[in-house]
Amino acid sequence: MSRAPEGALDGLIARTALGDRAAFEQLYLATRSKLFAVSLRIVRERPLAEEVLQDSFVNIWRRASDYAAAKSAPMTWMTAIVRNRSVDLVRRSREEPDVDDTLVANLVDEAAAPDREALARGEAHSLGKCLAELDAEQRQTIALAFFHGLTHSELAAHLRRPLGTVKTHVRRGLMRLRECLDRQGVRA
Amino acid sequence: MRLSRDAAQALAAEYVLGTLRGPARARFASLASRDAAVAEAMRRWETAFAPLAERLQPIEPPARVWRAIESRIAPEASRRASFWKPFGVVMGGLASVMLAFFLWLSLAPAPEPMFQAMLMSPDHTPRMVVAMFKPDSLRVKMMHPWKDMPGKALELWAIPKEGNPRSLGMVSNEAPETMVRVAENDSRLQDAKAFAVSLEPMGGSPTGQPTGPVLCSGAISAVRRT
Repeated sequence: MSRAPEGALDGLIARTALGDRAAFEQLYLATRSKLFAVSLRIVRERPLAEEVLQDSFVNIWRRASDYAAAKSAPMTWMTAIVRNRSVDLVRRSREEPDVDDTLVANLVDEAAAPDREALARGEAHSLGKCLAELDAEQRQTIALAFFHGLTHSELAAHLRRPLGTVKTHVRRGLMRLRECLDRQGVRA
Repeated sequence: MRLSRDAAQALAAEYVLGTLRGPARARFASLASRDAAVAEAMRRWETAFAPLAERLQPIEPPARVWRAIESRIAPEASRRASFWKPFGVVMGGLASVMLAFFLWLSLAPAPEPMFQAMLMSPDHTPRMVVAMFKPDSLRVKMMHPWKDMPGKALELWAIPKEGNPRSLGMVSNEAPETMVRVAENDSRLQDAKAFAVSLEPMGGSPTGQPTGPVLCSGAISAVRRT
């Protein structure tokens, strides 16, 4: 599956807003596997991830005309819709959540080696740099939460740390991230 | 709920990260829909985290997902598609549309048009009025132009009761009015029941049929022969 450039996705969303079914299908084809991966990481169960993708695209069809006002890149806008739906639907209790620690460990390396588009926007590079500035524990906690949608208590169980400590890692980690991104001019 | 800037920032970050859950999550989402500053903080965090999601290895969803999406949007899609068959006139917002229409007609010079059509986009925004005042031309009045369409142009089509759309010519998005030349008793207008405008490459459709999306359309109203 080829990756449509962001500019092309913009056009497809605009045509979707006009009720153009063919454009909507192209939009789905161009983004489904990325967005399915985003959801599956969080909800872990395929049937649930399928439900998320379905709900999200019905939502994208209905809200396509709001997209222009969102002022985000197309993938950012759609990813947010999928992530939010995933977080809403994830329901299992996870005493010992099934997480991909390699992904989390590679986070900084990967984020520091961004793809060309993100590099052109200057965002990925800043994010990688800023994540590298965090304490190892803060970084790990934030990555676990982001990729796997873990709650505070799930994070605490997985990391075998007290709940309060985990909450502090998340809060301080995000605060430092924001300060760093502000310095880099990303203004998160 | 009134939040300090710092508190709103912190909650926006935890919302986007996903650690804000339950009723607090729903409350914050509803706050964001009412408070532009909160929505903006949320958007910035989404943008900041976007490169992370890009790192994930794509996973192909099964084909049944698309089928399910299609069936869920089907009623809406066919309703929207019905502007190709514009006799199914949607009543929503019609009052304001007609007001704008008659306002324009009242400013238009006599005599009354021989026929006319109000072209609306799928969201029922009135876009233009096509009217024939003289047998050799159509007057296209732009009411609500599109913001920008780089490298694209608007093509006007006559939709006959049966058969394919017939191209009538290009319409300017920028000019308040475009005159489209037609022949007297133009065959393209025979049996025409509606007009539609599609988005095409500069210079018009290369195939002679609409290639881009239909941006607006409208039924031709009762012909008033003078």
